[in-house]
Amino acid sequence: MALTDQAFMQYSRQILLPEVGEHGQSRLSQSHVLIVGVGGLGNLAAQYLAAAGVGRISLIDGDRIERSNLPRQLLFTSDDLGGNKADVAAQKLMRAYRDCHIHCYQHYLTADSAATVFNNRYHAIDLVLDCSDNFAARQLVNQLAIEHKVTLVSASAAHFQGQLLSVNQQISPDTGCYHCLYPSDMSVSQTCQTVGVLGPMVGSLASMQALMSLNLLLTHDATAELPPIAVQSRCMDSRQLLGQLYRFDGAKFTWRQATLARDPDCTVCRVHER
Amino acid sequence: MISIVLNDEVVTVSIGTSLVKVLEHQAIELDAVALALNAEVVPKSRWPHIVCQQDDKLDVFSVVAGG
Repeated sequence: MALTDQAFMQYSRQILLPEVGEHGQSRLSQSHVLIVGVGGLGNLAAQYLAAAGVGRISLIDGDRIERSNLPRQLLFTSDDLGGNKADVAAQKLMRAYRDCHIHCYQHYLTADSAATVFNNRYHAIDLVLDCSDNFAARQLVNQLAIEHKVTLVSASAAHFQGQLLSVNQQISPDTGCYHCLYPSDMSVSQTCQTVGVLGPMVGSLASMQALMSLNLLLTHDATAELPPIAVQSRCMDSRQLLGQLYRFDGAKFTWRQATLARDPDCTVCRVHER
Repeated sequence: MISIVLNDEVVTVSIGTSLVKVLEHQAIELDAVALALNAEVVPKSRWPHIVCQQDDKLDVFSVVAGG
């Protein structure tokens, strides 16, 4: 799909990148990203993706805006207190980024509501971003991403710790899923409510989550449509990003990386084997 | 005895010590952590079956769920 003159001007700094170009920008404009949770991570990740020219974003969150959210959920102001997070974020993003179609679900993602959210017959979901704030929701998002064969980009932050990973069972089955790394029966202590967090700590992970998402959207396209030599010349292949866990320590300013591994006993991804 | 690096600290363990025994010796709660051995995540079901080698680098970390 050809870009308009205005789009070419607006996204010129991205198009200038050989890894993007007009073809990549067009690909972004045809992509559909689902963002689960519109808190600190979801606010910024959604804004970055909408600003980058992603064509369609679905936001889902049943939570309401509270005053304690304002230091890190930067789309919201005190005028928005009490409003639904997905609704308010969608309204603001639609005003700011008119190229982006934004749909909001003003309820939490549940096993019952998942079919409506995931089975969009007109606009298939290309990526799911887990921006939720609790372990149970993260397990559900992982399970649904596997069931619907969608790449999951999961980010999290609390205290001075942040984690980021992406998985896809079709492209990189050996690296397993979120449940292989964190079985659902493990005990969890770190949430923003219990240990606190600084706004830029969440923002750092949201930025990395958005960056990883853009890379994956662009390289999905590259691996599918370009000849092997062209793919090799690109700086990033989706298989290099998928299946890696990145951990950021925001007090020491260190990143650590580890390759994920499939748990042969995993009760989630094992049952969805191809 | 062999030495390994556990979360950036050198630790001495007996030859033949499994990953799960290392965590137990360090009084680390098994249900609260994940583990990477030499930059590769090891699923929990594999911890009893993998024996530490000299200079192994173990990163033990908790899940972070906030957002």
